[in-house]
Amino acid sequence: MALTLKQQLSSPGGLLKFLVKHNTIFIFVLLVIFSALISDVFFTSVNLSNLLKQVSGIGIVSIGMLIVILTGGIDLSVGSMVALLAVTFAILVNVFILPVAILLTLVIGFGLGSVSGYLVAYQKMAPFVATLALMTIARGLGFIYSKGSPVTFKTPGGAFMSNFANNSTLGIPNIAIVFFLIVILAMVMLRYNVFGRLVIAIGSNEEASRLSGIKVNKYKFLVYAISGALAATAAIIVASRTNLGSPNMGMAWELDAIAAVVIGGASLNGGKGTAINTLMGVLILGLIGNILNLLNVPSYPQQVVKGAIIIFAVLLQRFDSK
Amino acid sequence: MKKNNSEYRLEMTGISKSFGVVSVLEHVNLKVKPGEIHALLGENGAGKSTLVKILSGVHQKDSGKVVLDGEEISPKNTHDGQVLGISVVFQELSLVNDLSVAENIYLHKLGSSKFWMNWKQITKDAQELIDSLGFEIDASARVRDLSIVQKQVVEIAKALSEDTKVLVLDEPTTVFDPTDTKKLFDNLFKLKAKGISIIYISHHLDEIFKIADSITVLRDGVDTGSMAVADTNTDGVIRLMIGRELKDLYPTRDVKIGEVPVLEVKNLTAKETLVHDVSFSVRPGEVLGIAGLGGSGRTEMAKLIFGAHKKKSGTLILNGKEIKTKTPVCAVGHQIGFVSEDRKEDGVFLPLSIRRNISVTNFSGISGKLGFINVDNEYKNVLDLIEKLNIKTPSSEVDVKNLSGGNQQKVALAKWLSIDSKVVFIDEPTRGVDVGAKIEIYNLINEVAKKGVGVVVISSDMPEIMGVSDRILVMHEGTFYGELTKEEFSEENILRYSIGERLKQVV
Ligand SMILES: Nc1ncnc2c1ncn2[C@@H]1O[C@H](COP(=O)(O)OP(=O)(O)OP(=O)(O)O)[C@@H](O)[C@H]1O
Ligand SMILES: [Mg+2]
Repeated sequence: MALTLKQQLSSPGGLLKFLVKHNTIFIFVLLVIFSALISDVFFTSVNLSNLLKQVSGIGIVSIGMLIVILTGGIDLSVGSMVALLAVTFAILVNVFILPVAILLTLVIGFGLGSVSGYLVAYQKMAPFVATLALMTIARGLGFIYSKGSPVTFKTPGGAFMSNFANNSTLGIPNIAIVFFLIVILAMVMLRYNVFGRLVIAIGSNEEASRLSGIKVNKYKFLVYAISGALAATAAIIVASRTNLGSPNMGMAWELDAIAAVVIGGASLNGGKGTAINTLMGVLILGLIGNILNLLNVPSYPQQVVKGAIIIFAVLLQRFDSK
Repeated sequence: MKKNNSEYRLEMTGISKSFGVVSVLEHVNLKVKPGEIHALLGENGAGKSTLVKILSGVHQKDSGKVVLDGEEISPKNTHDGQVLGISVVFQELSLVNDLSVAENIYLHKLGSSKFWMNWKQITKDAQELIDSLGFEIDASARVRDLSIVQKQVVEIAKALSEDTKVLVLDEPTTVFDPTDTKKLFDNLFKLKAKGISIIYISHHLDEIFKIADSITVLRDGVDTGSMAVADTNTDGVIRLMIGRELKDLYPTRDVKIGEVPVLEVKNLTAKETLVHDVSFSVRPGEVLGIAGLGGSGRTEMAKLIFGAHKKKSGTLILNGKEIKTKTPVCAVGHQIGFVSEDRKEDGVFLPLSIRRNISVTNFSGISGKLGFINVDNEYKNVLDLIEKLNIKTPSSEVDVKNLSGGNQQKVALAKWLSIDSKVVFIDEPTRGVDVGAKIEIYNLINEVAKKGVGVVVISSDMPEIMGVSDRILVMHEGTFYGELTKEEFSEENILRYSIGERLKQVV
């Protein structure tokens, strides 16, 4: 029987089908090839490690965003949380010994996330609204505590962190290693742990989850708290890189994080998305910025290109679900 | 316009369709005359819904020909189909929850008609339409607040708001009780008298012999023949459907029913619904049937016990100890299970795979201390259940939304029947399930009861509730009106209590 072209391409193992299915990886590889062709600086270790350092903070926040989005929610507060927590960490590291400062920052991040979580899960507030409020509150608090100017690290603990954040192990920047470890942890939790299964179940049908005896509220609460703790991790990293905590950090990161998650094929309705694809989304966004910088494209056109790539990626995913 | 010389209004010939590599229909023929009620029968997953979805434009055929009134048609979407005069009541509800009944009924007109809609007029028209069908629903009510039976009526009204040539009903009566079904049939006869062609899909063979003129049977995507209803009988149809004889639809049970009740319910009254003063008990190994008309409060009662709705008062006693079930989490903690009647809304996870659906209630069985899932155990458990319930699927990784309706129902059941429970409430266990699979589900219910579980089955299907239960309680307006022992089972007795004739107090 003669097959039409369309049938051939969409038959199992067909190239097109494969590419559409793994479209984020496909876009990523295309971008890498394109970048390598267009700029000879791209494949230098300095550039690549810079790229990784740039995306690590946003990447960590994006993983938190993914987990929230999987439940069908959204967390708009992550960018401001990074600012507030970076300032917090800078203040703490100047007072306490390093492990205590780190731990306290993480706990505060978890606590701030819990506020959103409580409002969404137990007060039935719309996630968009609850986290929007937290977003302005956190940004405001950041400015209040820092009195509007950056807080620099002054102790040996701070110096240690800054040293850690700016160095590499086996050629990979330390902070990128932290990011990758978090991606792997998220991947394992989402795939092989009950936690991930339940988060995805809640996102795909909340009422069915409730009637299956799942503690829906508990998990909805937890995802925001986790997102807060991951924002704290990102905050520690970005503050350490620059040796200071500034209330201007993390500007619009929530948007980049959402973009990365969406490029990674997750559905904003919840129930669909993976950590590895979010990693790809983060790298794709980072690559675009990187290559446009290498080409000396100014920042406004960069934003236009970024937007176009988001549209392209999401359109590609449509084929998949058809 | 070409003149239609054929005696048929609709001729579908040589229709084939596959999804990816899975071939679902192969050279299927379906011919329907004007003013004819044509039954389309077949097992779960035989391809009935797919065939009518091709007719109405939801899916596109791979090959074959569809001729309506002498003209070849190939609708690209349901709107095309409607314009051509093909209206469908789909198997799965497709209403917009947040719009009113009237808005839903006229939704498909929004795109085509004038810019402004006269909502007042539309609400009035919708009310008239519903009234003319003989059902009682407020056309300005929000669909979210309707019962599943009312939703189905709206779905039917929606299909009738068109100038229809061919009306397709894909399992329209699964949620109906006998009185609703009778009302629907009266309407169908009226439409038939007007010369409308009706394609009717159902797993209730008794319905077919009541209303249909002719029958087409599908088996695994191939049509095994068409015939006049007068030329065949139930056994003949079943043989065509499943390729073998069926012995007993309701397997005999040899279960020892315990003496001491596993669950006692005393004076249960709901906070928000009509359920009040419900008292009963179920014993280990017993299958307790709950009968009643649609809207009598059976589902509400089960949800109340399960903690999904708020209680006002009442006591639950499980194995002699009083328990509280404020939320479903508590109920599940006490090993009470609940299979919902509305599989699409709250029974299954449509976008997730069969494996993920089944595992969701059973993590304690397949995961370790830290919540890590033992994937081997998980597969074993899931594949076992797929085989046991005969779920028709190429693998456990298929998304539930791609299964046929009956197979989705089996997934919803599998989720609860695989775990250890003390009491299970099963609301409409075989909704949309074919005859062969029904037996498998009844066997499974028996097997569960045999383990000493108290099984409470809610069903609007009279033969079913009499076939599976050891004892039947009949609900009317939110409370029990009567209890029937096995010797007293009869459709007449059930109906009498259902409409509120209080013959005997429940003790
Ligand atoms: N969108 C889809 N993608 C892949 N497979 C599908 C899709 N829709 C249906 N199928 C498959 O096609 C087959 C026929 O399904 P269909 O819904 O037509 O069955 P049916 O006869 O209506 O069954 P039931 O009585 O259970 O409703 C099934 O095996 C089903 O899994
Ligand atoms: Mg069907």
